[in-house]
Amino acid sequence: MEHDKLMYVHPAPVRVWHWVNAVGFIILIITGIQIRFAEIVNWFSLEEAIQLHNYVGFVVIAAYGLWVSFYFGTMKIKLYFPNPRTFVPNAITQLKYYGSGIFKGEPNPHHMTPDNKFNALQQNAYVGIMLVFLPAQMITGLFLWRVKRFENYIDLLGGIKIVSTIHVLLFFFFTAFIFVHAYLATLGHTPLAHFKAMFTGYEEHHESAPAEEATF
Amino acid sequence: MKKMNYFLLGVYIALMSSCLLLLPTHGYAIENDECMECHSDDSLERSESEGMKEDLFIDYTGFKYSVHNVNGVTCVDCHSDIEKLDWDNEVPHPSSLAMVDCDGCHEEEGEAYLNSVHKKAGGKGITIPCYACHGYHYVSHLESDSVYERENKFCLKCHNPDNFHEWLPQKETHFAFVECAVCHAPESPRYISLRFFDLISNKFLESQDLLEALETDYANFMAKLDQDKDDVISLQELEDMVLLLRQKDIRGTFHGELVLELVPTVHHVNRGGANRECEQCHNPQSPFFEEVYISLNTEGGEGQRQKVERRVLESYYVNHFYAIGGTRVRYLDKIGLVLIVGGLSVVAGHLLARIITAPVRRKRKDKKDEFSI
Repeated sequence: MEHDKLMYVHPAPVRVWHWVNAVGFIILIITGIQIRFAEIVNWFSLEEAIQLHNYVGFVVIAAYGLWVSFYFGTMKIKLYFPNPRTFVPNAITQLKYYGSGIFKGEPNPHHMTPDNKFNALQQNAYVGIMLVFLPAQMITGLFLWRVKRFENYIDLLGGIKIVSTIHVLLFFFFTAFIFVHAYLATLGHTPLAHFKAMFTGYEEHHESAPAEEATF
Repeated sequence: MKKMNYFLLGVYIALMSSCLLLLPTHGYAIENDECMECHSDDSLERSESEGMKEDLFIDYTGFKYSVHNVNGVTCVDCHSDIEKLDWDNEVPHPSSLAMVDCDGCHEEEGEAYLNSVHKKAGGKGITIPCYACHGYHYVSHLESDSVYERENKFCLKCHNPDNFHEWLPQKETHFAFVECAVCHAPESPRYISLRFFDLISNKFLESQDLLEALETDYANFMAKLDQDKDDVISLQELEDMVLLLRQKDIRGTFHGELVLELVPTVHHVNRGGANRECEQCHNPQSPFFEEVYISLNTEGGEGQRQKVERRVLESYYVNHFYAIGGTRVRYLDKIGLVLIVGGLSVVAGHLLARIITAPVRRKRKDKKDEFSI
């Protein structure tokens, strides 16, 4: 461990946003299932589920505000934008790693630094999620919260069913995403390394360390 | 001979006069026109106690289109205590008339009304007669009315729903799409009324225009659309109808509303009797969505309805009516299942591959350790 360096990769606002968002998402998914499938699940009354869903929705929107303020305020948002010259080869290298190298014990081709936190695949996924999918989910959620108040915007989008369809498809997408995200987070040098870093802010840097070598 | 003739004429006149005298009073049907001689005067009013004035003017045009006139009910059929008009008097009939007995014709409705908070309020010194809600002379067909019109004609005259529905999520949306009595008279049957909204003119397409665009009329509407002759417009048949309209450059969508069948039990509105269980409606098996109709309103304001398959509510032809859970698009759930199962499979597959290949990595690590020593 003598070669290990501690890197401060997750500043406090990002950590706060991340965990508020994570807990918020889980509550939103659970209440969302109750709202959509009231005839199948019976965890809450529909009334309670909707109230909770609405409150938590606003917390998630506020947390997103924090994320936007931090990343745009510090201009660290460029972390999310891939370099167009290197993006394609990097993405292919990263895909090869997840698809084969990781099984052979090869090192992760991406070396995390505070200025280059995400690998090419993460950049691609997160830029879409944070700047397209999440805003779309929040806007459609806001419209569905007060259908009458936003009826002009809803009509512009083609009606309440279109707005609901976008919200529901993204709900399914985010549910699937959370499983994959949590799994990928276990691929640090120990299964809990990335989780720990998201609490402390510090990621341990292992030179050329293959992923999860300690586990299997 | 001449005397004889005079005698016969006298007998004839006497007989005719006695016949006239023997005629019952009702034989003198008092025509509406006679009433209107005075009541068409828009300044006609009478003073009541405490300086109140009662307006006695009747807008005959309004009355002409009222459901009563359309069905041949005259003024004196309801104001039955006016037996004759005595034109020698300033007021040709008794100046104080009895309350109209609506129950005389609307027997079932009158009986149903007994079981309602409005009738029971009578015990507290308030009388809420039929016309307090239904109005006097201009009662029209309600069937073709939208939720907005129905509510404005009735409940909203006295009640401000904003005061009592704080608990209700999306209260404005509920007020706009669900008739009050759907929840407040829960034992009455209800249905979804679909109306075609023209997105170009930005208004509901009148039935006449809709029928014209489809090159049909009220009588042949179903014959034109109902291909399988089962008296129900299926999703496919609705699609065909929308296509036909598009060919005429009419683009739109169906708006839906949850309204009540106009049956006597709609009067059964009682304190604490409202349905507050959201799941009653917001689930796909809800009986609230069993009956779906396209409303074609006739010019007289009557509603003509054609039954539509329930499945259309889950389609994208009805984009402006959506009850969470209740009318959800089912195939989205299948897409969702694929997404989630797909995500989980990727995770499980990758994890499994890692477990299987763990010895390869261990060997590689051992070799590396050996090398570094």
